[in-house]
Amino acid sequence: MTDLLVEPFRLPYMQRALMEVLLLGALAGVVGVFVVLRRLAFVSDALTHTIFPGVVIAHLLDRSLLLGALAFGVLTAVLLTGITAGSRRVGADAALAILLTSFFSLGVLLVSRTRTYTADLTVFLFGRVLAVDRADLLQTLALAAVVAATLWALRKELVLRAFDPDGAAAMGYRTAALDLVLNLLIALVVVAAVKAVGTVLVVALIVVPAAAARLLADRVATTAVLAAALGALGGWLGLAASYEVSVDHGVRLAAGATIVVVLVVLFALAAAAAPLRRRMVAR
Amino acid sequence: MAVAYDRVPVVEDVDGTVPAGASVALIGPNGAGKSTLIRAVLGLVPVVRGSVAVLGRPPQASTRQVAYVPQADTLDAEFPVSAFQAVLMGRYPRVGWVRRPGAADRRAAWSALEAVGLAEQASARFGVLSGGQRQRVLLARAIAQEPRLLLLDEPFNGVDALSQELLLAALARLRAGGAAVVMATHDLGLAHLACDEVCLLNHHQIGFGPIGLMLTPERLRATYGGQALELRGDGVIVARP
Repeated sequence: MTDLLVEPFRLPYMQRALMEVLLLGALAGVVGVFVVLRRLAFVSDALTHTIFPGVVIAHLLDRSLLLGALAFGVLTAVLLTGITAGSRRVGADAALAILLTSFFSLGVLLVSRTRTYTADLTVFLFGRVLAVDRADLLQTLALAAVVAATLWALRKELVLRAFDPDGAAAMGYRTAALDLVLNLLIALVVVAAVKAVGTVLVVALIVVPAAAARLLADRVATTAVLAAALGALGGWLGLAASYEVSVDHGVRLAAGATIVVVLVVLFALAAAAAPLRRRMVAR
Repeated sequence: MAVAYDRVPVVEDVDGTVPAGASVALIGPNGAGKSTLIRAVLGLVPVVRGSVAVLGRPPQASTRQVAYVPQADTLDAEFPVSAFQAVLMGRYPRVGWVRRPGAADRRAAWSALEAVGLAEQASARFGVLSGGQRQRVLLARAIAQEPRLLLLDEPFNGVDALSQELLLAALARLRAGGAAVVMATHDLGLAHLACDEVCLLNHHQIGFGPIGLMLTPERLRATYGGQALELRGDGVIVARP
């Protein structure tokens, strides 16, 4: 068993992939706690899709994918904050769906003009974690540092806003500004994860570990630690499993999707354990 | 003054002053604009005509001196926060950005929890407490803010008798300390117990003054319309929310 979990990571490209998914898993897990507490899972899903055209445009212009994703991430974080605050007649969910699909089709339209259409599309949507290089790792590390520092600095206010928005506003906090910050943080996580897991699966990294941790913890701080641990664990197990099955059994398993499947299994385990835990706490 | 959402006035022609240590009940049927009036005093909704002054300044400039107690059942009962942590949130504006609450803040939160009789439940999750206990936690959070004006939205809704007593006692102590209290309620009995003055409201102000003068059959009928009910001609009016 230990062999299965350690052996694959003797290869340099697997080591880089491991570092990347550990970082992303932990980072997305922590941000995900706020996403789950604020019930913003659909908003983060929208963000993952709206960042897609940014990645495509950067690819077509031969610029850094990160910059393209970052530009569209910031743009849509601003648009999303506006939409969820101000669309009474259309409804925030419908407005989100319109934004999500219009940006996503724009991305597909742009990709469809290239000759390597399907290959490119696959990379952008599902990522290629095994192709992560040193520079990618450093970028992820830098983004993770920014996100973690911001979360740490604003943790009190973000928790208060999630718990009692009216109370926070009455205390003089600008809740719209706090919402914008959280949307930007989600965008940064998506940006960081684009290369490794693609724009579609990153929402699983954000939502699934945090939702699992939510079932097992009664404090925001413990939920965050648990979500980070589960996210990293899922990344590690998923990467090892995909390598093992692909190399030893000759069945190709996409690494990103395997990680997501493992995360969902971890969530199922948490859901099964939650009632037991509640009984123990009650006793 | 008048308050509006999307340029449709919700509350109009409200005029009154709440001095330090006073206690005013906002009374009116559901949808009369009680919550909106509170939100206007908090500076959360635009005032389209006239003005609101809190401690002589615009509401947005006085947020530090004002505490708001929402209805407990409007908050997420599954939220992973303890009673103590919820009370400590009242200190956040004083603590400031980035920093953690200090020893003085924790002491203030403790004594606020004690003031509402919940010191023993400090580490219980907010959501596992009863409705009345949750309401007391939110009042403790307001006490921890050390406010000079306290605004409460239906603080006695779904609250058990013990909690009601403890809430009333804590409010009386705040007033004795010089804080002014304004509460929206549709419970006339509790308005009598907790307040000296009332503001009768049904989209516009029907009356504002000492409770004994204001809670007359005529005024209550004007406030509640068809919901007012006279009992056996002995002058008692019961208003159904």
